[in-house]
Amino acid sequence: MKRKALLGIGAAAALLLSGCALNGGDSSNSTESATGPVTLTFQSLAYQDSTVAAVKDIVDTWNKKNPDIQIKLTQGTWDNVHDQLVTQFQGGTAPDIIHDESSDIMGFAQQGYLADISKYLTSDVRNAVSKDVWDTVTTSDGKIVAAPTLLQTYVVFANTDALAVEGVTVPTGKELSWDDFQDMAKKLTAGGKFGVGWGLKQPTAAVMNTALGFDGTFFDTQDDGTATIHVGDGELAVPQRIHAMAFDDRSLDPVSLTQSGTDVLPGFLSGKYAMYVGGNFLAQQITESAGAGFAWTVLPPLAGSAGPVQAANPQTMSVSAQSKAPEQAAKFIDYFSSAENQAKLAEGDWLIPASKPARDAVAAQTKDTPVWKPMLTSGDGLASAPFQKAKNYPQWKDQIATPALQQYFANSISLDDLRAQLTDGWSSIG
Amino acid sequence: MTQTLTRPRQVAPKFTEPPARRARTFTRPLQYLALLGYVVFLGFPLLFLLSTSLKTPQELQSADPSFLPKHLNWANFGDAVEKADLAQAAGNSLLVATLTTVVVTVISLPAAYALARLRTRLRGIATIWILLSQVFPFILIVIPVFLVLKQVGLVNNPLGLVLVYTVWCLPFALWMLRGYVAAIPVDLEEAGAIDGAGRPRVLRSIVLPLLAPGLVATSLFTFISSWNEFFFALVLIQDPGLRTLPLTLARFFGAEGQVQLGQLAAASLLATIPSLVFFLIIQRRLTSGLMSGAVKG
Amino acid sequence: MTAIPVRRPRRRGDGRDAWLLVLPALVPVVLISVYPLLQGILLGFTDARAGLNQAVTFNGVENYTKLLGNDLFWSSFRIGLVWAFGVTILQFLASLGLALLLNLDLRLRWLARTLALVPWAMPPVVIAIMWRMMLNPTYGPVNEAMRSLGLPGDINWLGDFSTALPAVIVVGVWAGMPQTTVTLLAGLQSVSADLHEAAAIDGAGTWQRFWHVTLPGLRPVIFAITSLDLIWNFNSFALVFVLTAGGPGGKTMLPALFAYNEAFKYGNFGYAAAMGNVMVVVIAAFLFFYLRGQARSRES
Repeated sequence: MKRKALLGIGAAAALLLSGCALNGGDSSNSTESATGPVTLTFQSLAYQDSTVAAVKDIVDTWNKKNPDIQIKLTQGTWDNVHDQLVTQFQGGTAPDIIHDESSDIMGFAQQGYLADISKYLTSDVRNAVSKDVWDTVTTSDGKIVAAPTLLQTYVVFANTDALAVEGVTVPTGKELSWDDFQDMAKKLTAGGKFGVGWGLKQPTAAVMNTALGFDGTFFDTQDDGTATIHVGDGELAVPQRIHAMAFDDRSLDPVSLTQSGTDVLPGFLSGKYAMYVGGNFLAQQITESAGAGFAWTVLPPLAGSAGPVQAANPQTMSVSAQSKAPEQAAKFIDYFSSAENQAKLAEGDWLIPASKPARDAVAAQTKDTPVWKPMLTSGDGLASAPFQKAKNYPQWKDQIATPALQQYFANSISLDDLRAQLTDGWSSIG
Repeated sequence: MTQTLTRPRQVAPKFTEPPARRARTFTRPLQYLALLGYVVFLGFPLLFLLSTSLKTPQELQSADPSFLPKHLNWANFGDAVEKADLAQAAGNSLLVATLTTVVVTVISLPAAYALARLRTRLRGIATIWILLSQVFPFILIVIPVFLVLKQVGLVNNPLGLVLVYTVWCLPFALWMLRGYVAAIPVDLEEAGAIDGAGRPRVLRSIVLPLLAPGLVATSLFTFISSWNEFFFALVLIQDPGLRTLPLTLARFFGAEGQVQLGQLAAASLLATIPSLVFFLIIQRRLTSGLMSGAVKG
Repeated sequence: MTAIPVRRPRRRGDGRDAWLLVLPALVPVVLISVYPLLQGILLGFTDARAGLNQAVTFNGVENYTKLLGNDLFWSSFRIGLVWAFGVTILQFLASLGLALLLNLDLRLRWLARTLALVPWAMPPVVIAIMWRMMLNPTYGPVNEAMRSLGLPGDINWLGDFSTALPAVIVVGVWAGMPQTTVTLLAGLQSVSADLHEAAAIDGAGTWQRFWHVTLPGLRPVIFAITSLDLIWNFNSFALVFVLTAGGPGGKTMLPALFAYNEAFKYGNFGYAAAMGNVMVVVIAAFLFFYLRGQARSRES
């Protein structure tokens, strides 16, 4: 009998506690900052040696100048940051200063976990970044929940020797049209080698970002995050061209479409692919791993009917809404976003700073490395896209878009099937 | 089953094929072939890991690498240890795994004894709990566990991890130990009691020594499980200085798929060596130890 | 005082003694296992989701009706069953073969024995990393071996829709062989040698001996280890998570992974808990089968 009573108490307690405990620890959402000396935690996701050192440098300099606001630096990983934040936010133990990227952090913003830092950012920082990029870190009700830092674009790397062999001139200029790109690829496909290798194992980000070049917006998003989908010619232009290059022109290696970017890289470095499309930060790996005498460059940004536009997905610095000292945290972020600091980080990571003065600084400091120029130019054509604000986009991306695109690039479904799957999938997700 | 034995029972550990079977000369090579096949299947990945850990980044990125490394690049090991604080992570893993093993052994021994020897309704409840706890996918319990630990202030603390691992390893430990205890004939204890020894004395000098192989097997299992565990550690440990080894290894995946393959292989090898050594030492005992537990349990 | 009588089976102080002995184990168990488990189950009947100060309301069976219509969940459930049975059966056959070989007096025995334990010593994270490298289509040794044998050598094992699940199952078998092999070997060695000799004297061939002496003697062990393997495999997470994260296109999305994504990627805690509850019910059904089978085999 005693045991039954114990069990009964246990169950009742569980019921009671389950309600409270679920709301997480601190329910405080104070906009008032703590006064007096504070120590804030900052989780950085930088992983390249040079960037890690640069971040540490910035933090140390700040700590010296600001004895009242001490920053404690911790290290996270890109792979785990989302899952980690979910539990940390739930339990109230998230770092004060959070390093993430806009496509991920905006979801947390919608859940109310980020502080509004608009009033804490100085005008220098505000004016340095274009409105389009600010758009990617602003909620529908006008709150700025993050400072954009570094961006990547999809660029075309080219093996200059391979181009010379086939008599293809290296394009210069502000942009490279998709048609020209396709022609080049055809000419460069000879003797068992392919014109292009493109690692599209995770195809959705690349497709969604580059679709803007054809005005492919995919979604009409309302302020509250609800969105309707439309998949028309603009939206499908990029997948269609990739498919044509792979299966009609045979200038793009279909096997590479099923591999990740880094897995395709050895093929580029060994001469199997004359051109290689990927995030511009891969320039770092190419520099490190290329054999002696490997000559390469970055081509002008790919342009569709609407120009060389890509969706901006900047890395972000945010303040947790559960932080006890949001104002101090934002002050650090403001300092972190200065042109000088951003230039240091950009060079370490081979990424493009969102801040124009920082871009100029990088351009000046990298005069000896010509590939920086086209990369920085590609940063000019970045805009925000509706899909970034659509609620349930991450789920649609994982469960619908990625499998559908993978099947399309494996030539298992037709373009119409792809269109149907993308559209119907959105309505099935609730 | 008919038994036509006339000679006394022998406890032969293995059975050898009766002589003069023509088929024997045929099957022996086949058996060796099969064994070789298993050896390759089980051992090759490890060799591959070793070979990868000794290659330079250039060699790994080349599209046509040979199996054997061209130069022995021991730097990968040093780099791995240095870059990833492998030593510290290993230390953390060691601390957590050892503490867990000690706690599990200490609390499961009396409990297993009680469940094996004493008539109590707890037996049924324990069995149900042991089986049910294997059933629940622990992704479900992760968030509630996290919240419980937060309320007692043990998040981001190796002791919190020890607590979670203890409860996680307890079912199997109880199950095994219960079997080992049950395998010891009650008569031995009763004989000791008749001889005038008190219960604690009986337990200490009679039961415990007989339980030794079982304890070894259980401790081994607990240690290895705690050493290898990934998910709870991922959720509960945020401070990089407190990370366990599997967490640190996962870090090597880097961002956007950039993998430092050579270092990753080196780090993976280093992470496996302690368990491997442990196993090598105990491999003989393991078989006999598990035998009683698995069959009788 | 004289010794406490140690007479079996009846003792008055048994119940109390048992509680005392079990108490140190009971406290952490209730705190870390029972209570969170109950909370987890209850979550499955709420609409709990991620968000600051989100109100949690009970919504009865709404999660479950939604789940009925969730094709992706049932597809992952099916994959989970294929995976669990595939790995368990293949693992059993492979381990049985190895155990039989290890039971013979062959020369390389010590090497094979050690290697059989290697996968057990490796953290699942390491196993996944290692096999990802092995199965890499361009520089992985598996494809290189295929190429040298003249077979097509550029199959993207983990990336191709049709080969992903089989490839992952093979890795699962590799990872799970140790515990099954060791258990079966122990069982084999406990089958009395006399029975074998007797059967041999009676003129039974190797195969007949195996079928009529070894297997029946092994039956309880086989039953125990395959049922456990099945349950463990169905709940498997870390290995496949690191290998493929459920891809490509959800072809290796085990139910545990699916529920994990629902909770940690999309923040639908209540819905994910409901999935967990469904999984638990299915496994509990298996368990019931196991207990009944064990009880039956004990009687025989």
